[in-house]
Amino acid sequence: MNQFQYVRPTKNKAAIDTVTKDPNATFIAGGTNLLDLMKRGVVMPEKLVDINKLPLRKIEKESGAVRIGALALNGVVAEDKLVLEKHPLLAQALDAGASAQLRNMATVGGNMMQRTRCPYFYDTALPCNKREPGTGCSAIEGYNRMHAIFGFSDKCIATHPSDMGVALAALDATVLVSGPKGDRKIPFVDFHRLPGDTPQIETNLQKGELIVAVDVPENNFAKHAHYLKVRDRASYAFALVSVAAALDIENNTIKDARLAMGGVAHKPWRLTEAEKALVGKPVSEHTFRQAAEVAMRGARAFEHNQYKLKLAPNSIVQALKTAAGLA
Amino acid sequence: MKDYFFQDTIGKPMDRVDGRVKVTGAAKYSAEIELPNMAHGVLVGSTIAKGRIKNIDTKAAERAPGVLAVLHYQNAPKVPGYVQAAHPTEPKPIGQPHRVFYDDKVYFNDQPIALVLADTLERAHYAAKLVKASYEEEKHTTNFAKNTDKAILPTAAKRNPRHGLNDYVRGKEDAYKNEPLKIESEYVIPSEMHNPMELQAIVAHWEADDKLTVYDKTQAVIGTQNAFAREWKIPVENVKVIATYVGGAFGNGLHTWPHETAAIIGAKKLGRPVKLMLTREQMFTMVGYRPHAWQKVGMSATPDGKITAITHEAIGQTSSYEEFTESTLQQTRMMYTSPNVTTRYRILPLDISTPIWMRGPGEATGAFALESALDEMAHVLKIDPLEFRLKNYTERDPEKNLPWSTKFLKEAMLMGAEKIGWSNRPMQPGTLRDGEWQVGYGMGVGTFGAHRGRATVKATLYPDGKVVMQCATTDIGPGTGTAMVQIAADNLGVAPEQITFELGSSLFPPSPSQGGSATVASVGSAVRAASIALKQKLASMATGNADSGFRGAKFEDLTFQNGQVSLNNSPGTKLTYSDILKQQGLPELEVTEESKPGEERQKYSLYSYSVHFAEVKVHPLTGQARVTKMVSCADAGKIVNMKTAGNQMIGGAVGGIGMALTEGAVMDVRFGRYVTKDFAEYHVPVHADTPPVDVIFVDKPDFISTPMGTKGIGEIATIGVAPAIANAIFNATGKRVRELPITPDKLI
Amino acid sequence: MAFEKDCPHALPESSDHKPPHEARRMFLKQSSILTAFALTPGVAVKAADLKFEEKVAAAFEQVKVTLEINGKKHKLSLEPRTTLLDLLRERLQLTGTKKGCDYGQCGACTVHVDGQRVNSCLTLAVMQDGKKVTTIEGLADGDNLHPMQEAFIKHDGFQCGYCTPGQIMSAVACIREGHADSDEEIREYMSGNICRCGAYPNIVNAIKEVKNGGLKV
Ligand SMILES: Cc1cc2nc3c(=O)[nH]c(=O)nc-3n(C[C@H](O)[C@H](O)[C@H](O)COP(=O)(O)OP(=O)(O)OC[C@H]3O[C@@H](n4cnc5c(N)ncnc54)[C@H](O)[C@@H]3O)c2cc1C
Ligand code: SF4
Ligand code: FES
Ligand code: FES
Repeated sequence: MNQFQYVRPTKNKAAIDTVTKDPNATFIAGGTNLLDLMKRGVVMPEKLVDINKLPLRKIEKESGAVRIGALALNGVVAEDKLVLEKHPLLAQALDAGASAQLRNMATVGGNMMQRTRCPYFYDTALPCNKREPGTGCSAIEGYNRMHAIFGFSDKCIATHPSDMGVALAALDATVLVSGPKGDRKIPFVDFHRLPGDTPQIETNLQKGELIVAVDVPENNFAKHAHYLKVRDRASYAFALVSVAAALDIENNTIKDARLAMGGVAHKPWRLTEAEKALVGKPVSEHTFRQAAEVAMRGARAFEHNQYKLKLAPNSIVQALKTAAGLA
Repeated sequence: MKDYFFQDTIGKPMDRVDGRVKVTGAAKYSAEIELPNMAHGVLVGSTIAKGRIKNIDTKAAERAPGVLAVLHYQNAPKVPGYVQAAHPTEPKPIGQPHRVFYDDKVYFNDQPIALVLADTLERAHYAAKLVKASYEEEKHTTNFAKNTDKAILPTAAKRNPRHGLNDYVRGKEDAYKNEPLKIESEYVIPSEMHNPMELQAIVAHWEADDKLTVYDKTQAVIGTQNAFAREWKIPVENVKVIATYVGGAFGNGLHTWPHETAAIIGAKKLGRPVKLMLTREQMFTMVGYRPHAWQKVGMSATPDGKITAITHEAIGQTSSYEEFTESTLQQTRMMYTSPNVTTRYRILPLDISTPIWMRGPGEATGAFALESALDEMAHVLKIDPLEFRLKNYTERDPEKNLPWSTKFLKEAMLMGAEKIGWSNRPMQPGTLRDGEWQVGYGMGVGTFGAHRGRATVKATLYPDGKVVMQCATTDIGPGTGTAMVQIAADNLGVAPEQITFELGSSLFPPSPSQGGSATVASVGSAVRAASIALKQKLASMATGNADSGFRGAKFEDLTFQNGQVSLNNSPGTKLTYSDILKQQGLPELEVTEESKPGEERQKYSLYSYSVHFAEVKVHPLTGQARVTKMVSCADAGKIVNMKTAGNQMIGGAVGGIGMALTEGAVMDVRFGRYVTKDFAEYHVPVHADTPPVDVIFVDKPDFISTPMGTKGIGEIATIGVAPAIANAIFNATGKRVRELPITPDKLI
Repeated sequence: MAFEKDCPHALPESSDHKPPHEARRMFLKQSSILTAFALTPGVAVKAADLKFEEKVAAAFEQVKVTLEINGKKHKLSLEPRTTLLDLLRERLQLTGTKKGCDYGQCGACTVHVDGQRVNSCLTLAVMQDGKKVTTIEGLADGDNLHPMQEAFIKHDGFQCGYCTPGQIMSAVACIREGHADSDEEIREYMSGNICRCGAYPNIVNAIKEVKNGGLKV
């Protein structure tokens, strides 16, 4: 790791000011992603602003939503009573991520901000537009088994690795941000960006902006929600494809639905059209299969991720079946 | 065999003698040795696969805080023992390691090109990132699949027509081709990485200009000692190799590697000890791997299930500078009765680092193809695969035309089948379900030569009744020390608590390297020999003493038990070992005994056997496969320690689960560089992948193999597991996957 | 998986981002180097003599950290980039905590921080300032092994022993967290600890025994 300056403010403002002013300063929360990248020389901040002393750990009810502090630990959120009761989908997604140890370190804010696991991004000896804009994307014609089938560009085809994010995308969450210009709210689905011509810019967070919390609004999905994660081993692996499925069912008819996918795009991939295809339909595998077909419109694969064109819809069906109690 | 006591300690599930130091964190592995004034070394790897280094820019690194030196081919102290010829004039047999910092040539991607030495680990790591090299790149060949036509017969086989690596024909060559009932399939395994949990590490210390001590992660204490003595042209006895604890190795400690010499070079340059631990990425490029392999099996059989012919071909990858070979096709030559057997083994040199035997080495690769093909043939014949194997069971080695020393594989098969519930296996694939999950059963057989080498053990008895035994073997995890204590206890008639077995130092008498499942056989036999020699000395002292009631008694007339010697026909006449020493006024009684195999090995064919059964569940929509139950049975002679041996079998099964379902190192052949090179990308099985594993030992001694009746376990624990799982997946789904690992994408 | 191109790829010779030593120099300028000189002229002048401005910085880039490790208070001065793992292993010679990957991918480095299991390789020692750290060396009560250590020996929950301290620290936490109610749950919540020797089933048995024994862990 490069040497850096280390500061640990106790006020949000101080933290924000430091990162705003210093072009090479960055926040550190759990450190589980940032330090990993620093060890490999992928990023080299010169100043780390440790935000762990900021008062951002609470999980509470706030104007009809569950408000989760940006520093709440992934493991704590996954086992929080309120979260389990109101948003079991989020708890499931968090539990599916990383390991017990990492979940004890990783924060909600850091989880959103984690970078892609594209192996070329991690290897400083190889070209990667995200790491070094303009050098080219090694994955497009390289090993792209883990890569995107939606929303990619000719500059980058990486996926976002977060599990939590997939649930938050499905659950209409909002990110609360505090920055040099004041506070603002960003709908979670607009928080991350598609790669376009600037794959190095992954979120709409501005320099110096601090995530303070995420709001997950009240809903009727707690009874019928399922997070399915398909991976190369039974645990402790990133998703090949994951699905967050939430249904509001009345008399065997789908009143409302939320659906999002992980492992398929540069951001957690909300499937609004497929949701529409579910609403008003009877609960059945047939309904789910049709929604999955809608969901897959526009998908395109590369040499090694062709399987996702099949695994993704299958997983949607399976997640919906499980959510509905059919599996 | 009469003086041999199974009943006391051998066979018992004794706790490990090093259990306490391991569970308290007190065991010190190589990188944990602390020497005064030690510097930290970090290697910089090349970023091309082939070519020349044009320029190495080390300025920034040298200026970084704490940096003591940056070494590379231009400024590193010369290794006097390096072969000086242009390299490589011709490929070297296995054992000639890459000559680190020798010249500007690059033979593989991530080849060590510089060593950064600094006062702290952090500083060394950081400065290593500052070293920049530019290259004159040459076109490299790293694409295995596209170059299989360039595979060659190993030089060893070319030079010696009788060498086992030559083509083998029993009966008619490729006879299956003209048979009506036949199968022909190709199988591929990717490169697999040993990935022991302990990162390869060394502390190198020149105690004098010509005296070197290394604390080194190795399975070959003596081999390493010899290698460094050769490299540095110093007397062998001036090289001390210490490997007291080894954090797993699975084969990658069977060779000396460039990082070891690099650390020694660094220590030479600085005149201070150097510690060097590889990064996890470097574990993929600098310390060997199980080579990527292509295989083809053709097989024919009669309708009632007699195999008439097998042809098995294999191509394994090697480096451009060293010919690595292994016995991939051995099982095919001897396991089944087939009158016609053809095998052809080739290697494919690529611009990649040298492989090294990985647990169950080539045999595990070969068994994946052979045992899958057997399952395919059985399916064609509509015969139960267990029955098919029994129908083609050999009672005599058809390759060497010799009797087996012992073989209880059939018994093992029947016990295992019973345990897994083989009768639940549907003949028609894809027909058994548990809820949504498809269920299937599969089996695979494994075999490995019951090897034994020459080893020497020194045993010292002290007046307090304690015994210390020493040998330069290692314990990479199987529980060598524990087994040796047990063997010593029974053969010496001393309680195990009284015995200490010291290993992992070149100061101790020699042992072969810890590989090929031969440690218990080799070192255990020497322990036994030393025990007997000690008893003989005790006997002659006791019987030579005029006052003792033993006068005139012969060795056979004596019983040695509980630390005392007594007369068989007068058990009341006894003397403790301590008393004998005290009577003689001896501060200690010492023997050093060598033990080696004899001609019995020319008269018999000696193998260990295993058979593995797997129950798998596959989700038809998501393609996830889970092994839900495993039964692993071994016919490996007498089992010395049921607990540690059982654990070894379990570990082999877990390794096999990884081979079958999760492991594979992927190389981007445009760069000749691995893209999966850590534990997040290269998936070894975790707890959640591992079901309970039932282990069954036939536990019948083979006294032709060793005087204790033992045969090896380490390899057969893995050989045959991967095909058992692949076959179970076929049984569950009807999908035959011939390229490992069987990840979800291959099952949807 | 073949994707070889006809000609080998030429790597970018230089990158856009500043070489790190450049960055260091910038940092130096910003971090009032003059104050540094004024405070400890000896060190600074000597370093300046050697023209090793980098080394000047190094001298001032240490931060003070207080940690309680296995019940013992440590007051340390560290480079902030020192991970908790390297602090334990390289500075304090508490080598029971192992390095298996350095990237949070294996669990060999598992320790307890304020009672919670974490990967010590992915946290900076400075970030744990003021916290209580327990490593494998601090688990036993003097000569009396912790019940989990006993159970690992009894069930042979290891082979080479390298993953073992991490497994044991994790196993203790697994029970404390209430995640050891079934084999399946144990396996899931222990999956952050890789054992390449494959002693998993024995580890699960050890954990079950401790859990069912009802002893305080
Ligand atoms: C081996 C391994 C396996 C993993 N497996 C999974 C998995 O299966 N699923 C999954 O979802 N994740 C997985 N992860 C990723 C893990 O979830 C993330 O590393 C973690 O969530 C990051 O959180 P952190 O608090 O440690 O972030 P840090 O590493 O501290 O920070 C990450 C980034 O976020 C920024 N940041 C942090 N907090 C804030 C804030 N409040 N405001 C603004 N910016 C902020 C930092 O500046 C930094 O750029 C895995 C990680 C590892 C190492
Ligand atoms: S996919 Fe994106 S992250 Fe991966 S190599 Fe291409 S640009 Fe880099
Ligand atoms: S060393 Fe920390 S998880 Fe591997
Ligand atoms: S005991 Fe060797 S890795 Fe677990």
